[in-house]
Amino acid sequence: MEFKPIQILYALLSLFIVFNYGMLLQGFVRKIGARVGRRYGIRFYQPYIDLIKNYTKRSTITHGIMYYLGPVFRLTGGIGLIMFTPLIFGSDIFGNFSFSGDVILILYFMFFGTLGMALGAAEGGHPYSAIGVTRGLAQTTAFELPLALAILSIAIQYQTLSVSEIVAAQQGGIMNWTLFTNPVATAAAMLAFLGSMMRSPFDVVLAPQEVPIGPPTEYHSSLLGILQTNRAIFPAAKLVLFMNLFFGGATSWWELVIKTFFIYMWSVFVGVVYPRYRVDQSIRWFLRIPLILGILAILLM
Amino acid sequence: MVAPIYIIAAALGTAFTLGLLHKTGKTLPYVLMTLALGLMTFISLEWLLAFLIDGQKEEIIYTAGFKPPFSISLLMGKMEAVFISIVNTMAFLGSIYMARDLKNKGVNSMLIYLLLIMGLNVVIMTRDIFNLFVFLEVSSIATAGLLLIGGRKNAVSAGLKYLIATGTIAGFLLIGIIFFYYYAGSLSLDDIIASKESWISVGNIALLLVLLSVILELKPFPANGWALDVYQGANPGIGAIISASSATAMVYVLYKMMPLASEAWNYVIIGIGLLSFVASNIAGIKQTNAQRLLGYSSVGQIGLAVAIVGMHQWLGSGLMTILLAMLASHFLAKAGLFWLAGIVNKETTKEWGILRNKPVLLFLMGTFIFALLGFPPFPSFFGKWELIMSLSDLGQYGIVSLILIGSLFEAVYMLRWLGYAIKEDKEEAVNFSIHWEKFLPVGIVATALYAAGYFFGWKSGYSDWYKYMPLAFAAALFLLDFLPVYVKNSITLLGMGWYFFEMYTQYTGLKFVFFIIFIGGGLLIFLAGYYKKGKRVGFYPLAILMYAGLALMLEASNMLEFFFAWEIMTAGSYFLIIRGKKSMTHALNYALFSIGGAFLILAGFGITQAGKDGLSLELLYQVGSMSPYVFILLAIGFMTKTASMGLHIWLPGAHAEAETDVSPMVSAVLLKAGVYGLIITMISLGNQFIGGINIQVVLAWIGVLTALMGNMMAAFQEDAKRLLAYSSIGQLGYVLFGLALMSHLGWLTAISVAINHFLFKAMLFLAIGGVVLRTKTKYMYQMGGLIKKMPITFIVVLIGIITLSGVPPLSGFAGKWLFYNAILEKGWYLQGAVLFFAGVIAFLYCFRLIHTIFLGQLKDEHRKVKEAPFWLLLPQILVIVGIMVLSAFPNSILKPLGEVLYSYFPEGALSWNDQLANSIYGYWDGKMVLYVVVAIFASVFLWALIVTRKSQKVKQFNIVYAAERPFRPETTHFAYNFFAPFKKALGFLVYPGITNFWNRVGQSTMAGADALRKIYNGNGQAYVLHIVLFFIVVYFITAGGF
Amino acid sequence: MKFLSPEYISMAAGFLVILIGIWGILANKNLIRMIIGFSLFDTGIHIVMVAISYLKDRTAPIIDETINTQEIAKQITDPVPQALVLTAIVIGLGVTALMLVYAMKLHKEKKSLDITKFNDLKW
Repeated sequence: MEFKPIQILYALLSLFIVFNYGMLLQGFVRKIGARVGRRYGIRFYQPYIDLIKNYTKRSTITHGIMYYLGPVFRLTGGIGLIMFTPLIFGSDIFGNFSFSGDVILILYFMFFGTLGMALGAAEGGHPYSAIGVTRGLAQTTAFELPLALAILSIAIQYQTLSVSEIVAAQQGGIMNWTLFTNPVATAAAMLAFLGSMMRSPFDVVLAPQEVPIGPPTEYHSSLLGILQTNRAIFPAAKLVLFMNLFFGGATSWWELVIKTFFIYMWSVFVGVVYPRYRVDQSIRWFLRIPLILGILAILLM
Repeated sequence: MVAPIYIIAAALGTAFTLGLLHKTGKTLPYVLMTLALGLMTFISLEWLLAFLIDGQKEEIIYTAGFKPPFSISLLMGKMEAVFISIVNTMAFLGSIYMARDLKNKGVNSMLIYLLLIMGLNVVIMTRDIFNLFVFLEVSSIATAGLLLIGGRKNAVSAGLKYLIATGTIAGFLLIGIIFFYYYAGSLSLDDIIASKESWISVGNIALLLVLLSVILELKPFPANGWALDVYQGANPGIGAIISASSATAMVYVLYKMMPLASEAWNYVIIGIGLLSFVASNIAGIKQTNAQRLLGYSSVGQIGLAVAIVGMHQWLGSGLMTILLAMLASHFLAKAGLFWLAGIVNKETTKEWGILRNKPVLLFLMGTFIFALLGFPPFPSFFGKWELIMSLSDLGQYGIVSLILIGSLFEAVYMLRWLGYAIKEDKEEAVNFSIHWEKFLPVGIVATALYAAGYFFGWKSGYSDWYKYMPLAFAAALFLLDFLPVYVKNSITLLGMGWYFFEMYTQYTGLKFVFFIIFIGGGLLIFLAGYYKKGKRVGFYPLAILMYAGLALMLEASNMLEFFFAWEIMTAGSYFLIIRGKKSMTHALNYALFSIGGAFLILAGFGITQAGKDGLSLELLYQVGSMSPYVFILLAIGFMTKTASMGLHIWLPGAHAEAETDVSPMVSAVLLKAGVYGLIITMISLGNQFIGGINIQVVLAWIGVLTALMGNMMAAFQEDAKRLLAYSSIGQLGYVLFGLALMSHLGWLTAISVAINHFLFKAMLFLAIGGVVLRTKTKYMYQMGGLIKKMPITFIVVLIGIITLSGVPPLSGFAGKWLFYNAILEKGWYLQGAVLFFAGVIAFLYCFRLIHTIFLGQLKDEHRKVKEAPFWLLLPQILVIVGIMVLSAFPNSILKPLGEVLYSYFPEGALSWNDQLANSIYGYWDGKMVLYVVVAIFASVFLWALIVTRKSQKVKQFNIVYAAERPFRPETTHFAYNFFAPFKKALGFLVYPGITNFWNRVGQSTMAGADALRKIYNGNGQAYVLHIVLFFIVVYFITAGGF
Repeated sequence: MKFLSPEYISMAAGFLVILIGIWGILANKNLIRMIIGFSLFDTGIHIVMVAISYLKDRTAPIIDETINTQEIAKQITDPVPQALVLTAIVIGLGVTALMLVYAMKLHKEKKSLDITKFNDLKW
């Protein structure tokens, strides 16, 4: 497919939709979580308020150029992921720039933002940032393995690495979804998915409830705002990817919203039920059942 | 032409004259003796030249006016001329070397010295076996006399042991001779040989006694304790003569005797020779006394010579060339080393560190040791080559492996010794003086080694001038070593640059890729060389030696040339590596693995050319039924260079301890030599199966595990350069895996990973080298926060790690994308998954590298650190440009590469649409990805600039720190044991099993060597017993002498 | 060579002396005794040499009036081994003398003639 200038506008449109979807998703999930815990909870638009507050803070400090660029890298990673993922099946408008690379590109591009963010956080000079990053990276190595096996498995299944073609192959009924045609791979991938969502039991990286820890420790005001922007976009993009690979993709925005919501809720449910792992425990966990499932997914192909 | 009898006459006459000159002072007798030796040398060389040039006929000298059997006859043939020339020349040089000693000891010592040499001359020329006995005894007595005059500690007891042992041997020889006379009716060797039929059935005991006595004079294992003691105890000058002249003469005696022996004896002699060679080299491993070490080596080398003589029927007309090539290296180098031992005058090998004060002597020592080990361009390289090739032709693979194993053991102790000389911490900085007359002979033999090397190279068909040109360049730089760095660096760049532009049109395809990596990479890294001040003694010739090897390897059209280049490269890189700090043991490990690998390659080449014409590398295409074995030999051989798992333990230390600009040379450039070798192997031999197992599958798994282990080890390192070194191991694992795929995409992956590794590893090693240079530490936890001090270096490392980890949009991603397509195509999913896991672990060490050095807290002691020197940065920046071009235009390299690979693997090629690559599975547009990412990055950056326009810079400790205020960077910089949880979870995977395995191999070899050498208990009586038992055992083995 | 003929007996005796000599070298720790053993070893060899050259009913190879110059080859024993013996004796003498010198020097060094005391050079 050739590049046409109009695609930039299309891309901005996609970005806008995904951003808002991500923001609302955050708000709703926190609301639901609160209601389950018999609390009133936040207003569903609270994330917007937080974001605006951060962007409009009067004072901003910086520890140096990499600290400054960290969020830029992070957000570039999130937006890029959207740009390389076809959002709506069959739509030229929301196919974005997915013609420039296949699922391998997406898989590796996910690290772009992570790496930049890690570097930026590290320049802040706070040891907790670095500790959080090491934990995150260590955990990532573990859950990426079953994920890679699952993706390989479906690449073998569909004989392609192109996300669009994988989605195309799943059209024509729910039974054509990878979920049903290749349940083992889907299981492996969905377990790995838990690790990538930074929710309990795999959220020791951020340790959100205790003393501030994790990569964003030193970020605040508008730089934190950029990170928050990404926190809306990046998970949404990831959800879309999983939906495309395992749940038949989406032919409309409604389908996309419903499917990704439930995929997201999977991690939320697990997070509510299970307590947190230490990093070495989570590594071992990923290298047991998810890994075995991943290997099975390959062997069954 | 002076008649040969004058050699004896000159010696005897002078000796008698000297006897009368006791009162005329020391100088006149010395001059007379030297003149006599000079005359003897002159006569023998004159004959030698006559034989070589004028086609002189051999001449028999009858003594006393009768013909045999009524008189003693001497023969002056071509071989005799060669051997007496060797004996006399070495003796002449020895007399110069020992000028002071001989004068101190008085006229008697000169007289005895002359008699010794005369004895050896006659021993070589005589055709009468009793005469042989007489002059053997003359030499023995003279040697014992010289030993009596003194030498090292305990020289006298060594002399007694020598006397008793040689006396006993001579007794047995005499019995044998008299029986020969009884059975054959003559003492003339020619008569006895002529009448072989008549006595052969009854005279076997005579033959046994004579042959074994001659062999025993050649110090076979285990009846050679006396000889070792002599080597240790003797004055080094005498040791040199015993090792160089006496042993060489005796080898010829054995050669002379061979026509007497029946064919079955050949096997016995080969067996004895090889046993001596292997056993004494093993026993030598534990040795710490320099002269005794030389003794073990001498005994070993002479054992090999004995074995070669025993192969006379197999080797036919090639025998003499091989024998002389081996002997030439032996007597020149051994004499040189003994003489050096006299100059250094230190007993143990460790004390040779004082040699560092004298670079010229160090150079000579290196020359001798590499000559002994059979490196090019020395004679023994060609000798060993011819020998292994001939033996392979005969299918004698067992003997080939014994020879190679023995040689490897020799390398262990020789290189350890050299390592001590170059690197061992010297206790005292003694500046010892060298007398010119001691230095002169050493210099002459070293020169002779190079000349002889050229001669034997010419004999083996390795003589084209252009094949020596890169070496000549190294030699020229050696002569210019007194110049400052910037001059030498410019000369080097000019020379290599000229070569680059001269040659780059010559190569196409894969060779071109490696040409760019080797020579282009070399140029790039030499640019950094300007950062050094001073002279940098010895660096340039050695570096050029390595590049010469690499260049010659590409030029090589046959196996000899390839192996020549390979060994040159190994030698050069060994010296480069040992220049680093604390790199003694690492360089030794490197050398041993390399030599071991080279021997496997040699064996593989041997099998390949067996029974075929010529040595062309094309023969690898037609190996036939042996091809799986050839494949395994070559693959393992080359994998020692790529540091694949199991063979990797040399790499981390070697690369980490090397100098700043040497690390990229040995990592980014040198490792690719192994890749090149593997490529040649796999292209020629294709898929190989052994016992139904596809070897490629095994290789692929090795590659996968190498990548996993290398990356994981890298993540656990505290030393930045070690981290990069382990990372190299991991990356080369990818390359091995890619090659093992044996498919278009697999190879494309492998080669693009290799190219990328070349780029980013050169860059990273230079960058980290710059940091180490500035901070004076290699430990990452001692650094931190350097981004503010070394911003350019930081950017370089950032780009380096992005490329390394394969994150789009930079060129490293090409390797990852290709690799997925390749494994999908091949169906090796599990391997692919593990490799993917390894790839993710790469993020760990990448982050560690950049965080702990550049980010976090700046240490107080680094507040005044400056950016790396310009000349170190320049090549890094050039590489960045290269990476950017490759990232934006992946097809600029992948497309031509694909076309090259198309001829080997036509299936599965990529199709290109501008920068969009299509495989049967997926697609990837490098340019588009880069554009999209850059566009997004620019937009977000702009957005950030807008929203943070008011931001203000804060100081280092202005951080949120839970109610405490950090005040020391050391307590705040998180860097040590960085991935503790990861280590806790998966650290068991990097249990150092392989290192332990090799350590255990080393220890048990040492223990075995120690047990073996215990038979030399120092008791003269036991040595006699060994001799007697030697006769008895061989008697029974040969069932009474056949 | 017939059993119990003179040459047989002398040859056997020669070998016996050789063996005694070797035993002497190997079994005695005293240097002087070893050297004596060595001398015996040499002597034994000389006896064997002479025994080999012995031809029955012949005279010594000294040409004087008792020998018919016409049939000289049939009347005398083989002269060569006898010449060899002379040479060998001379050489043996030289070696023995040198050994004794060594013994003397070693005794000066350590005030001992025990060969086992001189094993500093080993392994």
